[in-house]
Amino acid sequence: MDFMEALTNGGVVTLIGMGTVFAVLAVLWGILELMQRIFVKAEKAPKKAEAKKPETVPAAVEALTTDDEELIAVLTAAVAASLNTSTYNLQIKSYRQVGAKAPAWNRVSRRENLQY
Amino acid sequence: MDLLINGIASFLASTGLAKIFAASPETVVQFAGIDFGAIIMIAISCLLIYLAIGKQFEPLLLLPIAFGMLLSNLPGAGIMHNEFFVSDDPNFHMDFGTILSKGGLLDLLYLGVKLGIYPPLIFLGIGTMTDFSPLIANPKSLLLGAAAQFGVFVAFFGALFLGFSVYEAMAIGIIGGADGPTAILVTKSLAPKLLPAIAIAAYSYMALIPIIQPPIMKLLTTKKERQIVMKQLRPVSRIERLLFPIVVTIVVAMFVPDAVPLVGCLMLGNIIRESGVTDRLSKTAQNELMNIITIFLGVTVGATANANYFLTPQTLFIIVLGLVAFCISTAGGTLFGKLMCWITKGKINPLIGSAGVSAVPMAARVAQSVGQKENPTNYLLMHAMGPNVAGVIGSAVAAGVFLSLAKFF
Repeated sequence: MDFMEALTNGGVVTLIGMGTVFAVLAVLWGILELMQRIFVKAEKAPKKAEAKKPETVPAAVEALTTDDEELIAVLTAAVAASLNTSTYNLQIKSYRQVGAKAPAWNRVSRRENLQY
Repeated sequence: MDLLINGIASFLASTGLAKIFAASPETVVQFAGIDFGAIIMIAISCLLIYLAIGKQFEPLLLLPIAFGMLLSNLPGAGIMHNEFFVSDDPNFHMDFGTILSKGGLLDLLYLGVKLGIYPPLIFLGIGTMTDFSPLIANPKSLLLGAAAQFGVFVAFFGALFLGFSVYEAMAIGIIGGADGPTAILVTKSLAPKLLPAIAIAAYSYMALIPIIQPPIMKLLTTKKERQIVMKQLRPVSRIERLLFPIVVTIVVAMFVPDAVPLVGCLMLGNIIRESGVTDRLSKTAQNELMNIITIFLGVTVGATANANYFLTPQTLFIIVLGLVAFCISTAGGTLFGKLMCWITKGKINPLIGSAGVSAVPMAARVAQSVGQKENPTNYLLMHAMGPNVAGVIGSAVAAGVFLSLAKFF
């Protein structure tokens, strides 16, 4: 097999190969999106898990930007877990992102937990 | 008296030292009767042992590989006979009778590599350790996993250009998949002589990912893109996690049957994990089974590093091409990430594209740490795990394509 022929073969293999990899993964993408349609949309009966008795919890005041119920649910759960109490005893009144203002030590240790 | 002297003389001739100073005619790398091949190979294996222990380069694999290399290059020890498995003779056929009756310890263990048993079993273990939910939650990541296979084909082309045969070029290209077991599976079938060089290149570069990737990622993205914070991933339901392995196996089998040993075992492992009723199997597959196979695989792959095939300019080319493959794969993933960022109007951080090379979870952690350097509150890890596990499927599919196309050359 001479050099030119080898390169032509190489080109064909590259085209078929890259094409197949993309095709297979794209088909999987389609199927997963379909699965998402079927299983997630059905489950999404709106759940409003909100508070009972007020026991105000920290976090400084700043505007609630959007209607992120999900985030509030997560925050409630996180606070409840760290205070060893039930989510029913809590009410999140406001929250804001602390940004890079967390103390340097906190950030270092957080990063260390994620580093390779 | 004569008998005694003869006895001593033949004992001395059988020592390793004597064999080094009286190189057999088959050894290629020799000078003035001294077997430099063995000496250099022992030195290289010591260097690799140092890299594994001292520098912690993928020590779980590199250490067995390096020690296997040491074992098989000790003159006269005869625990590995490469001549049973590879030959320059084109009509060569492996003779199992000879291997079973005359083979040493490592010859017999090597059958697991040669027959393609170990790599799928490693994938079984990886499957039980991998959580595919970041991918199920964000299926678009699959495309990033595909884009990061670009390096495989560029390196394949480069190898053809440097005069490697089509088979050898395929085996070299697959280094760019950044997946050790896949590279070993392809190489043992297509270019067994290059096995040690390719395995060592693949595992060393995987260990070097935190050094290789960040400069490329920074070069190809703007500061603003690196700061993009991505939307929280949705929770994934149990039924999706159970259906995923079944669907992937069927789809892959329909398109690329040659990828089924790898992808099928990966997904078998995953369904054992996700089913929730086979905890014992899951524990065994990800611990004991995986560790046992890793030892066997490492030692025997290292043992194939024979001076005659390893100490050649080809090995250097493989090392260089492997690096090129890694870099192009990283660039391919990152650029595709940029494209997706542009299409979604800035909802996707292009850094996660670089995690499409399959080295799990190293590549995802690199994406996380590069992203965090620009924006300390940004946590890309879970987002990067999607392309990362997609890359494992992608490189297994690329390997399947190579294996099936190889039949036509």
